[in-house]
This record gives sequence, structure tokens and C-alpha cells, in this order.
Amino acid sequence: MRRKLRLIAIIAVLGMVTAACAAADDGGGSDSGDEQQGEVTQGGTLKAALISDVADAFDPHKSYYTVNWGFYKCCLLRTLLSYNGLPTEEGGNEPLPDLAADQPEVSEDGTEWTFTLKEGIAYAPPLEDTTVVAEDFVRSFERLADPKASEGGYAFYYSIIEGFDDFSDGKADTISGIEAVDDQTVKFTLTDSYGDFGMRLAMPATAPLPEGVADGHVRDYGRFLVGTGPYMFEGSEDLDFEAAPEDQKPVSGYKPNRSITLVRNPSWDPETDDLRPANVDRIEVEIGGTEEDVANKVDAGDLDINLDGVPPAQQIREFLSDPEREDQVQAYPSDAVRYISFNLAEPPFDDINVRKAVNAVIDKDGMRRLRGGPQFGDIAGHIVVDGLLDDELADYFPYGNEDGTPDVEGAQEFMGESEYDSDGDGVCDAPECKDIFAVTDQADPYADQAALIEDSLKEIGIELEVQALERDPMYEKCNDAGAHVAICLGPAWGKDYADATTFGEPLFGSVAIGPDSCCNYSLVGAPADLLKENDYDVTEVPSADDKIKECDTSAEDERVGCWAEFDQMLMEEIVPWVPYLFDNRVEVISDRVENYTFDQFHGGMALDHVGVSE
Amino acid sequence: MAQAASDVGSSSRGDYDASFGGAQAVKGRSPSQLFWARFRGDKFAFVGLGFIIILTLIAIGAGFISDLVGHEPNEVFVSGDTGMLDDFGLPNGPDMSRSFYFGADTAGRDLFVRVIYGTRTSLTIALVATGISVIIGVLLGLAAGFYRGKVDTFISRSTDVVLALPVLLLAVGLAAACSGRDGCLGGLLKPGLFLISLIIGLFSWPYIARIVRGQVFSLREKEFIEAARAQGTGDWAIMWRELLPNIVAPIIVYSTLIIPANILFEAALSFLGAGVPPEVPSWGRMLSEASGIFTTAWWMMLFPGLFLFLTTLSFNLLGDGLRDALDPRTATR
Repeated sequence: MRRKLRLIAIIAVLGMVTAACAAADDGGGSDSGDEQQGEVTQGGTLKAALISDVADAFDPHKSYYTVNWGFYKCCLLRTLLSYNGLPTEEGGNEPLPDLAADQPEVSEDGTEWTFTLKEGIAYAPPLEDTTVVAEDFVRSFERLADPKASEGGYAFYYSIIEGFDDFSDGKADTISGIEAVDDQTVKFTLTDSYGDFGMRLAMPATAPLPEGVADGHVRDYGRFLVGTGPYMFEGSEDLDFEAAPEDQKPVSGYKPNRSITLVRNPSWDPETDDLRPANVDRIEVEIGGTEEDVANKVDAGDLDINLDGVPPAQQIREFLSDPEREDQVQAYPSDAVRYISFNLAEPPFDDINVRKAVNAVIDKDGMRRLRGGPQFGDIAGHIVVDGLLDDELADYFPYGNEDGTPDVEGAQEFMGESEYDSDGDGVCDAPECKDIFAVTDQADPYADQAALIEDSLKEIGIELEVQALERDPMYEKCNDAGAHVAICLGPAWGKDYADATTFGEPLFGSVAIGPDSCCNYSLVGAPADLLKENDYDVTEVPSADDKIKECDTSAEDERVGCWAEFDQMLMEEIVPWVPYLFDNRVEVISDRVENYTFDQFHGGMALDHVGVSE
Repeated sequence: MAQAASDVGSSSRGDYDASFGGAQAVKGRSPSQLFWARFRGDKFAFVGLGFIIILTLIAIGAGFISDLVGHEPNEVFVSGDTGMLDDFGLPNGPDMSRSFYFGADTAGRDLFVRVIYGTRTSLTIALVATGISVIIGVLLGLAAGFYRGKVDTFISRSTDVVLALPVLLLAVGLAAACSGRDGCLGGLLKPGLFLISLIIGLFSWPYIARIVRGQVFSLREKEFIEAARAQGTGDWAIMWRELLPNIVAPIIVYSTLIIPANILFEAALSFLGAGVPPEVPSWGRMLSEASGIFTTAWWMMLFPGLFLFLTTLSFNLLGDGLRDALDPRTATR
């Protein structure tokens, strides 16, 4: 069941990731930030736009959406550990102490994590007299473990805490692995050594929950949210938790599907917070409109940024061609990969040579061009984004050319070795290569990309029959082992947090095969009975389970190396995908915005780092 | 007085007078001679006919033209030396030296070749969809007009019902329902040109049916029908051999006039994403693809739009001309 939730959640995220996390490399001026640090204008109002509202109305235990995480991280919620709101190369993927006074003390065996809290951190009004204590974390995790309260969220990341699942299933009254040792000390006990636990504690769902605030608000806690960040919803001080839950009025600063207004939180003390400069006084977000509409307003300076859309290519070209405006286009890796996924059990992709041939023949440069060109990312030669592997595989391109152009001869060589090319001329001549069932997203630019893929595959004699669906049905179809989708053209995958484990089990673990779980579309490691159940003629597919387990439980300093090996193993021995683009998030800002910085954690502008000139 | 006014306003009327009002117009002429004499004088209809003939040639020779240019309709020119997309993924405009006469679309395909192939799509729809609606319309119209009574009531009310339907919405729904991989009706209808033609045909027959019914209504009282009936001719034979030949003219006229409507219908469906499959070039879909980007890539809007406009205009002009020539009464309106 947990996995089922995950499917929906991740799709929701990717809906945005794919729309919002479009990526490119260094198109803009990543240096503008440092130069101006210290002289950023204080005060003023930042005016942003959202095309669609954040899902789950700001409930941090439910929200599985990077744009929403951006609001929590910059402004509303502080967690034990958090990030500095900067890009990877400036430490943006390193968890740093936030509500914790220091990094945790971790036991020898890696299973016990103890945090000491900073003293005297008060909640936003109306709870300005309440300080954060260890018990608030216990309370937050208990709500997180409640399947109703965390519906659609990512509670599964915390199953590694001892007793979390038992509490969740109602078999225990407390979570045995979380202990408030005293007011300032909280201790977590894990079922095994998980080196990435610190990152899991930097997620917004783990923020402390003051007593009584969420009571009676299983569905609508988001509009009664009281946090510790530098900002709060306007009208937070008018919340009345003395009243019965059904009589309480939500904050005025968040009108679902209309607007979000954040103002300064008077309880926040900059002395206790090294991570958030919090320059502007007020953040106003209007929800709705089209991308073109918002782009025009940003152009005119009526809005400062679109937080969830992709700027139109025309606008990017216009700005980048103008020396005066080129620094208004910002592009940073969003730690997401775009790929084509094979079904390892469906002919002709049950033959590894065919999968290698497709890898070599896909025009990755063309695929990127159709997404908007080099601003939108780096050509991907492998699966786990470079940012999570410390660039260990940055020069690893096992198929095709490094610049993303296809290697047709190499592809035909692979195809020639395949059982589906009887005369070995490099062009598939078997009937299995005709009318192959492919599924893609019907939105732009996936349809254009599908046309390019079809055109490229002709070189090796593969002909697709493409079905274009809306995004969610596409993901559902590709995830359904029984649907026999041979090749899925439109998926993308982004990190949840900066450890490659988020590119491991959910994508390639045998437990992640749909439709009841997610998102192993390739059926890597599918057991024989599952294949039989779903009417596959193929009885055996390669598995990556052992390596995933090894990397998941490896210590912090060995993780990157292990995941890099895992990635290479996938690309050479299993070949489940054609990864083609490490995505960039491209943002266009108004000329009022000073000190643009990219928050690597959520993959977008850090609202707490920017200033606005009047 | 009405006569005088229309003489001034209508060129076809003027030509008609020129042909028939003169002193030499005393020879007897067959109906087809009369028709030709009238039609010949209608310059607009002639231009329309000429353009339709050219379009037909283009549609038939699309493959040949595409070979001449050297680009296939679904061939993409995205990157590399032959690429037609710039570093921002935006398409390049018309480039004679590289044989991209109409420029490229957002997928890097040759817009000229696609517009040419789009002619084939539009004319196929024009033919098949109109054919379907004419067959249905004529059969139902004949039956209603001939049998009158309950049959007429039933058919006429059905016609009203179909006319009252929100046609576009329904067609979008139907097309979407049948556009899956396995089609609909248990795989009987597969997505493609025929499906769209059928959907369009199913919604545009009432116009024909009404015209036919009206004509039959008056014709069946004529003496030659009485005579046929007195001879013991069966219903079917009367309809087929006596009535139908006498209503060919209005059928032709109205078929020609619903052709442009059907072409636009297909364009609208494709514009809304419910039309022909993506790999089939369609003007409507091209316009839809251009809608978000035409300030930058004007050619994506201009060329398909121009072809669509000229095609529907030509059929309308031809239809009007045919009507004037075949049915002089309408020309004096």
C-alpha cells in the first residue's frame, strides 16, 4: 500500500518536475550571487507566480511536490538539518545543522543518531511563547506515520526508523525508534545503518509540530501551519487554537488556487539561522494564468518569477541574445534525468543488443534541442545524475557520442549481434521490430521528441506504434507490468533528496514493479512468476537487487562509489534505459531581482536569498 | 424592381443575361448546354474550380513533390548539418537554399512537404466524409419525402435532433474515445482518416437530407411519377430511376457546399487534438502547433492557414457557381 501511494506521489511530483524542473547547465550567470552578497537590498515585496496551486494545500506530511518543498525550505519550516539554499557546487546538497545545534552524533554501527537542539527557538505567532522541544519531533513523526495524515506523502522513507511501521499499522502506541531524551535532545534508532538518514531528516515532513496545532486538521493542516522559518502566512497571528478545530479560521495568507502571501515571522531570530538571509519583507504569489501570460508580466517587471512553469523558448532566446538581459535567464541542474525506458521482457527489447543499439542510435542532442537546447541540460550518458555522484561518471558515455549525436555504425553493430537481425546487416529484420507498442506524453515537446525517436530508430529497422497519452495515464500505463508497453518514451525522474538511493530501488528494485508499486517500468529483477502472471513469454530478466541493497546500507563515505558502480552495471549489463538528458531548471527573472541563487534542495530560486530593488 | 437590383449586383446574373438575353439565343439547348453556358460566365467559380484541380493534382502528386524536395513528411531535421532548429529549439524559417520553402515546424520537419501532404488529408476528408453524408442524407431524404407520414415525421425529427447536437463537442468526444490503440467498437474503428471522415459524415448529413426531402416532396406529385406508379413501378424503382435523376443538381450543389464545412470540421478536430493521428499531416493540427509560437515562427501559421483558407474559399465559390448555374431561380434572389 505504501508503494501504491508512492506511485501517485511521484507522478504528481514529476508532473511538476517535468514541467518545472526543465534543466540546463550554466546558461545564465551563476556568479551574480556571490558578487552582490552583503549588498542585497533589504525589504520590499517579491512578486511570484504559480501556474497551478501546490498540491495538498501545504500540509508538509502530505506534500510530495518540489515547488511546495521550496516554500517550506526557504520560508516556513525549519528542520533538524537543512541546506544552504545554494547550488551543488556551493554546498547546496550538503545537509547542515538548522534546528540542531550541530551535526548529529552517530553510533559506531550507524544505527543511532542523536541530535541536540538549539535553545530558545520559538514558533511563529500565535505560538510565539512556545519554544521547540524534542517532543515536537516525536509528535511530527507520529503524525507522519498516520497513513491518513500523510496520504500521498513520503512516509516510506522513514520505515527505516525502528518501530515506525508498527506504529503506522496500529501495532504500537509509540514509535520505539524515536526518543525525546530531554527537551533539547532527540534520538533516532534505525533498523540498519543508513548513511543517508541525515538527508531524510532535512525533508519538510520532519519539521517539529507544536502541540495541538494539527488536532482535528487531518485534511487541512496546511492552512493552520505554524513553523519556525523566517516567514509565515499572512494572518498567522489570528489563528485560534483554543477554539474547536471546526470553528477555527484558516490563515488569510493562503487562498487555495488564488494566492499565497508570506510575511516576516516576528519570532524568527537571524542569529539562530545561518542558512536563510531572508532579505525581502513580503512574498506575494498569484496562482493561475498561462506560461505566456506570466512570461509577459516578468518581461514587463510586473512579476518577478514563475515558480512552476517553463519560460517560453522565444523569451529565453530574446533575453540571452540581449547583453543587458542575459543575466535574467538562470539555468541550473535540477538533479533530474529524462529517459526512454525499455521493457526487458517485451521483444525485441528482451535482447540486450537491441537495447544497446537503441542507446547508440538515439539523437540525444536532438532530443535536447526539442526541449529548448543546451540551456535545458547536459547530455546524459548514464542514469544517476552527476550531481549525486560527485561527477564521478561525468565523462562516462558508453553509447553514442559525447556531444549527444548518434553513433549509427555502432548501433548497427550492436543490432547485427542481435537475434532479431538474422542477416547481421545491422537492420532488424524480424517481425518483432514492427509495430512496437510505445507510449508517450501528448504534451509538448514529447510528441516532437517521439517523431525524432521514430526517425532515428529507422536506422536499425525498428518501427514504433506510438500512443500519446496525458501525463498521468502515461505514467500509469508505463508502470503497469500487464500493459506490455515495450518502450516508454516520456518519463523523467528527479531526486527527492541528494542521495543516489532515490535512483535505486524505486526505479530498479524488484519490489518497485507496478501496477501496485512504482516505478520500475523496465521490470528489472522481475521474478519468473510475475512475468508468467502477466503473460510474458520471457521467463528471466536481469536483476539489480543485490547491488541496491549493498549501496543502500553502505556508510556515508562509500555511498557515491557504490552508486557509481551500480550505475555502470546498469548501463553495461542490464541497459534498462536510454538516459538522454540531465535536466536543468531554467528560470527567467525580472530585472528587479537581485542576488539570484538556486536552491539545489528543491530545484528552483531560493526565495530567502534574493532581494528586490524598488 | 428586385430584378433590376440583382442585375446590378450580381456578375453571374449579368453574364447570364449576356448569354441568353441576346438576339442569337433562339436555338434550342440541352440542360447541360444551358448549365455550361451559365457556369462558364462565372469567373469566381472558375477560379475556384481551377484551384481545386490544382489541389487535386498536388494531393495525387504529393509523394512525387516530396521526392523532388528530398524530404519526407515525417522526416525530422533537428540537429547536425541538416538541423532546422536553433540552439533554443526554435525552428528556422523559409530557406530556399536548403529546400525548406515554407521553413520548419517545431519538430524540425519540412513544413512545405507537410502542407502538401495536408492537401491529401483535407481532400480525402472532403471526399469520404461528404460521400458518407450524401449517401445517408439522400437515402433518408428520399424515404422521408416519398413516404411522408410517420416515416417523414420520424426522419425529420431525427434530422432536427442531429442538428441540435453540440456537434463539435460530441465529435471531439467520439474521436477521443476511438483514438486509443485498439480503436473502439471492439476494434472495428481504428484511429485514422476513415474514422474522422465517418464522424464528420455522421454529423453533416441532415443538410442534404432536408434538401432532398423538400425536392422529393414536390416532385412526387408530378405527372411522370403518377405515370410510373400507374404502370405498376415499385417504390424503390420510382425513387431510384425517376426521382433521383431529377434531384441530382441540388445534391451536387449542396455537396459542394458542405465540402468546405467538412474540411474545416476536420481542421477544428485536429486543432483540438482529436483529429487525425499525429503522423498524418493535417492543416488543422499544424495551425494548432503554431498557435503558441507564431509570433516567432509566423510561417507555421501562415502557410497551412493560407492553404486552408484558399481551399475552403474555392469550394465555396465553386458551390455558389454551380448553384447559380444549375438553379437559375436562386441566382435571382
